[in-house]
Amino acid sequence: MPSLRHLVAPVAIAIFAANPGSAAEPIDFVRDVRPIFEAHCYECHAGDTQESGLRLDVKSVAMKGGDNHGPDIVPGKSNHSPLVEFITTDDSSHLMPPSGRMSDTEINTLVRWIDEGAVWPDGVDLVTLKDTRDHWSFKPLAVPHGTHSIDSFVIAKHRDLGLEMSPPAERSKWLRRVTFDLTGLPPTYEQVTAFVNDDRIDAYERAVDGLLSSARYGERWGQHWLDVVRYADTHGFEVNTERPNAWPYRDYVIRAFNSDKPYNRFIQEQLTGDLLGEDAATGFLVTASVLLPGQIGKDEPSIRLARQDALDEIVNNISQTFLGLSVGCARCHDHKFDPITAEDYYAMQAFVAGVEYGDRELRTPEAVAARQQAEWAQARIKAIDDELSRYVPLANSGTKRPMVNARQNVDRFASITTDRLRFNILSTNNLEPCIDELEVFNSQGVNVALSASGATVAASGSNTSPDRHELRFAIDGEYGNSRSWMSNEMGKGWLEICFQDPQTIDRVVWGRDRQGKFKDRLTIDYSIEVHGGGEAWINVADSSDRQTFDPANQKIGDFSTDGLTPEESIAAKALITEKRSLEKLVRTAGQQQQVFAGVFRTPDDIRLLNRGDPEQPQDPVAPTIPSAFGDESLPLDSDESQRRQLLADWLVRSDNPLTARVMVNRIWQGHFGGGLVETPSDFGNNGIPPSHPELLDWLAAEFIRSGWSVKQMHRLIVLSDTYRQSSQIRDDFAAIDSDVRYFWRYPSHRLEAEAIRDSMLAVSGKLNLKMYGRGYDLFNQRGGLSGFVPVESYQGDGLRRMIYAHKVRRETEAVFGAFDCPDAGQSTAIRLESTTPIQALNLFNSRFTIDQSAALAQRVIDEVGNDVVKQITRSFQHTLQRNPGVDELSEITPVVRQHGLATLCRVLFNSNEFLFVP
Amino acid sequence: MNKSSGQLSLAGHALLDRRNFLSNSATALGSIALANLLGGDGLLASESDRPVIDPANPYAPRASHFPAKAKNVIVIFCAGAVSQLETWDYKPELIKWDDKPLPGGPAVTFQGPAGNLAKPQYPFRQYGESGKWVSDMIPHLAELTDDIAFVHSLTSKSNTHGPAENFLSTGFVLDGFPSLGSWVTYALGSESQDLPAYVAIPDPRGVPQNGSNNWGPGFLPAAFQGTTLSSKSPVRHLAANGVSADADIAARSLLQKLNAKHIEANPGDGKLAARIASYELAARMQLSVPEINDLSTEPEHILKMYGADQTHNADKAAFAKNCILARRLVEKGVRFVQLFNGAYASGGKLNWDGHNALKEQYDVHAEIMDQPAAALIRDLKQRGLLESTLVVWCTEFGRMPFFQKGAKGRDHNPDGFTCWMTGAGVKPGVSHGVTDELGQKAVENVHPLYHFNATILHLLGLDYERLSFEHNGIQRRLTNVEGRLIREILA
Repeated sequence: MPSLRHLVAPVAIAIFAANPGSAAEPIDFVRDVRPIFEAHCYECHAGDTQESGLRLDVKSVAMKGGDNHGPDIVPGKSNHSPLVEFITTDDSSHLMPPSGRMSDTEINTLVRWIDEGAVWPDGVDLVTLKDTRDHWSFKPLAVPHGTHSIDSFVIAKHRDLGLEMSPPAERSKWLRRVTFDLTGLPPTYEQVTAFVNDDRIDAYERAVDGLLSSARYGERWGQHWLDVVRYADTHGFEVNTERPNAWPYRDYVIRAFNSDKPYNRFIQEQLTGDLLGEDAATGFLVTASVLLPGQIGKDEPSIRLARQDALDEIVNNISQTFLGLSVGCARCHDHKFDPITAEDYYAMQAFVAGVEYGDRELRTPEAVAARQQAEWAQARIKAIDDELSRYVPLANSGTKRPMVNARQNVDRFASITTDRLRFNILSTNNLEPCIDELEVFNSQGVNVALSASGATVAASGSNTSPDRHELRFAIDGEYGNSRSWMSNEMGKGWLEICFQDPQTIDRVVWGRDRQGKFKDRLTIDYSIEVHGGGEAWINVADSSDRQTFDPANQKIGDFSTDGLTPEESIAAKALITEKRSLEKLVRTAGQQQQVFAGVFRTPDDIRLLNRGDPEQPQDPVAPTIPSAFGDESLPLDSDESQRRQLLADWLVRSDNPLTARVMVNRIWQGHFGGGLVETPSDFGNNGIPPSHPELLDWLAAEFIRSGWSVKQMHRLIVLSDTYRQSSQIRDDFAAIDSDVRYFWRYPSHRLEAEAIRDSMLAVSGKLNLKMYGRGYDLFNQRGGLSGFVPVESYQGDGLRRMIYAHKVRRETEAVFGAFDCPDAGQSTAIRLESTTPIQALNLFNSRFTIDQSAALAQRVIDEVGNDVVKQITRSFQHTLQRNPGVDELSEITPVVRQHGLATLCRVLFNSNEFLFVP
Repeated sequence: MNKSSGQLSLAGHALLDRRNFLSNSATALGSIALANLLGGDGLLASESDRPVIDPANPYAPRASHFPAKAKNVIVIFCAGAVSQLETWDYKPELIKWDDKPLPGGPAVTFQGPAGNLAKPQYPFRQYGESGKWVSDMIPHLAELTDDIAFVHSLTSKSNTHGPAENFLSTGFVLDGFPSLGSWVTYALGSESQDLPAYVAIPDPRGVPQNGSNNWGPGFLPAAFQGTTLSSKSPVRHLAANGVSADADIAARSLLQKLNAKHIEANPGDGKLAARIASYELAARMQLSVPEINDLSTEPEHILKMYGADQTHNADKAAFAKNCILARRLVEKGVRFVQLFNGAYASGGKLNWDGHNALKEQYDVHAEIMDQPAAALIRDLKQRGLLESTLVVWCTEFGRMPFFQKGAKGRDHNPDGFTCWMTGAGVKPGVSHGVTDELGQKAVENVHPLYHFNATILHLLGLDYERLSFEHNGIQRRLTNVEGRLIREILA
């Protein structure tokens, strides 16, 4: 049913005259009411179809009402019952049933039934509610007795279904498969050859150990994790600005996989890393898109809604990722399929109610030291700036002064005592002028044009945008466009500063944007006057002796030594050199000390929200684990960190039925392309039950027994016969199990976006294995009018693995994005594998492919020289780890002779054999 | 199928042959990952009727749920939030209240303090048989009101451009959900196999406020992402730079041979066949995309009708060309065209976000939008295409009846605004839903945008409740758990 929100009050209801039976005989639910419901309502409000959350076939649920308002049936009060309003309204857009009004008799029956108390006897309902708690994944692990292995469970199913294992894959194919699976890169031809010829009994184990100890492993499996938590380096939504300190979390994840961090510890650190010496881990809490303060409406409802959305993302991330449950539905109403009530949902919010999206200072020893150094350097830079401004040539001294620049300009003049100063703007480079700060220094070097020290400011007129452009920002001591004054006239305007007491001044410092982001609205022509008593104003400086403004030659912030004496010039240059190195130090220090990992504060007061609407708060809710799983709870006023700790402790308890099952399923999926449970982030009633429930539970138990070792799970899986099978299709088995849910072969699959790019680079010899740190850019230009303009040709850092790309949310990479690369908007628990002509265009024609084809060709020529057959052979070895067949050689040789080796390389990069895990 | 495979090579033909495809499908479509490609069809087939996507040709036309009124859609998406009060929602009462404070009105709206009420900034007059009042800002579109069904009572769930454009385009305020065009092409494929099924045409002044999320596939297969193409910018990677035509042909032919040999050794694998077919589709796109964007074949009077000849107004001429491109795409059977009018946030200079100087800026924007958009509708009509094409005009929310304090513009208003549609299956000349007498809030027949989107799907023969996709445990739909049809605007 639609919302009643705008309906003013219960409308008077016409009581109809028609009346079945005698007025004395009470309405009977089963005889009189249910048939009406069946005829008119059950199509949309019974069983699994519960429009607007309303079902009328089960008493307990029906009497609670739908999602949009309170109970629909108010016993004894038909004129307060929304149900009656809906069946009698004149508004056709709200009338129920939508197909047309019920008969007057029927309406009257329902009205009377409600007025008589809406008697709905217990035990008459024809359907019973399923107990949503009675569900396999909510029960303890059930590990069968005896000795087992992956293969024993798989073979047992095969016997039931009439399937058999396929023969083992060729060794070369197995190594290619396991290398892609564990590292996201192909093996080298030499590795394949060595493995094929390795007749040691433990050759397979050695190969797996080698791959698991490679740093490439964490880069591969870290990506799987980042998909699930929808990690990105931007904030999302329309501005989608950079989140410059997000990457320490990405690095944390890669390191955690590489060091085989126990999964229980991994969870705890992501929720409470601030207490465990792993600050960056808590980046997990704030991986979602979030509105920046400037994007949120100034009105209170907008602010409350934005906070709710931000908290919702955290709750969803925790429940989907660790528990495989989508609790988000319960934000508006009790979950339809799972035992998660709206109260449970808000109780989950209460665990994270003190988490804000934001940068936090890293507290590693390196970060602390860097921070101290940066603070010192910043103080010194400020002092240097003050000193330097004394070396600025005096205005009107006959020396041509440097042209104005957008960042900072100094006007120095002979000392003069005054109570007021006026800055007259006569022209700009464009639009209305903007001044981010107008500073006036007295002879002691103190800025006296500060509102904090009693100065006041007036203007010719102001364009005001609250919190961005306001007159008061001209003398507030803060820099940047968003703390600036803007005139309301094109190309002109004036500011007048009145000091608290008369001052002897000798310098004015002003700028458009000291942060260096904006160059528009720059004052070009101006004069500075001081009040000389009475009506008199004295000009102390103006732009007439500055060099003519040249927009093409703007060197923002450069200090010019023009017009200085040789001694002054030497002193100034020394200061500038020192300043440059200090600025560099501040920049690098800044990159080491912050992480976008949430800020912790006193928790919000969390209340149950009717229909999820922040404007309809109800009772307060305390942090409590979902009621289906226990009753651990904390008081309403408990500490912020205590809340996250309790949640983390519960998640990693060995009797939590979901945590281990969900993770071993994700690991299995990473090897086979699909999980034992095919809905990896939904282990609830709506998910798909496991194909091999005993295997899943056995793996989960092994996982816990191994000390939650992810690498141990990899070993178990990739060394199994199940994994070692050939991927060849058998028609008879395909007829029984075309989806290969029962693993009668290895299900081959296409490489993912990152693996394709990384593999092309590995093969071309260009892959840059630099790990960690800020990501490289996939776009030359970010956001704004021109959108994101992709980098076409990559060098240097751009040749690193794709996990180190600066991940722009919602904007996938121009070539490989089309290969179902997630955009980090929502969680991607499993990647799709679609095939499109756009993929073909990208991979066949992009500059990236052409560049890498040329690089591979050059690499091969460097290795084998000009013999075409050798060239072809070596190209095959690099890309496919095999030699070309005789027929292939004869096919290819003339092509290479005529069009060059790069043409063959381009073909190999596009070939199915290169792009599929065998 | 025959239509699309007719132009394929012999090898491609064999791979795409319907019987062949079906007889192989038991084995060929075997893997778990592919089941996902098929929209989880193998997983939950009994619960819903999801489209079955032929991996060898994801854009093949597919049946709708019930007979469709509209085959194609053009959505004219006006970014930045067009004021309903200066366009379609005539409020004479507001003239009386000009410059008076709104009694009991909000003190603070999206950008800050509210100022006084402000009358519509353009005169209104009546048009057509329906006598519809439309402002002088849009005289060309005004003449078409007898063909249009207006919904004046729409509401949004956000008053911020990004989330609100998400809501309009995807049905969710959050990032990462599939766009309307992705849902439609996922369900229906396209009539054209030589062009992308879903084309997004950005405004000549720049990308819209919410960028590519307006045409993103969210968690649907990447095949259903909108492809950007405009009169100013071609499709990326249509050809390899610096490679000779001969080398290109040789590479393509060699690739086909290597792949054919590979599939011989891996018989029955549908995914391998699909990739081979995708290169053949790509080759056809390489030819047909430049052709569609070559407007030199358009006669003088058509260019003039759209305003594409008005070189003194470059933005208008370029938008007009985009409108012609939209028509040409629909003529070729492209299923879904999203035509953007208005660019990125710019203080209202480049889109409809009139906070400060609304009249001054709308004079410019209306000149760019009005004539070309009206010409597009007229042109579709005169070619008989409007009978099978739905044209939707929409914007993410409306604007307040009062000015912002100290400004001559209106703030964001998600509580009552106007969008409209015309063409296939739409009841002509109706105005549905009402805002209050000052035009601030929808008060009669209130429709959250869910209803508008549900109605678009309906016109395409799609039931908004049946069109779903399983994602992380939730049966996701364009209209979330909401939606209903706006029957009053259906023919």
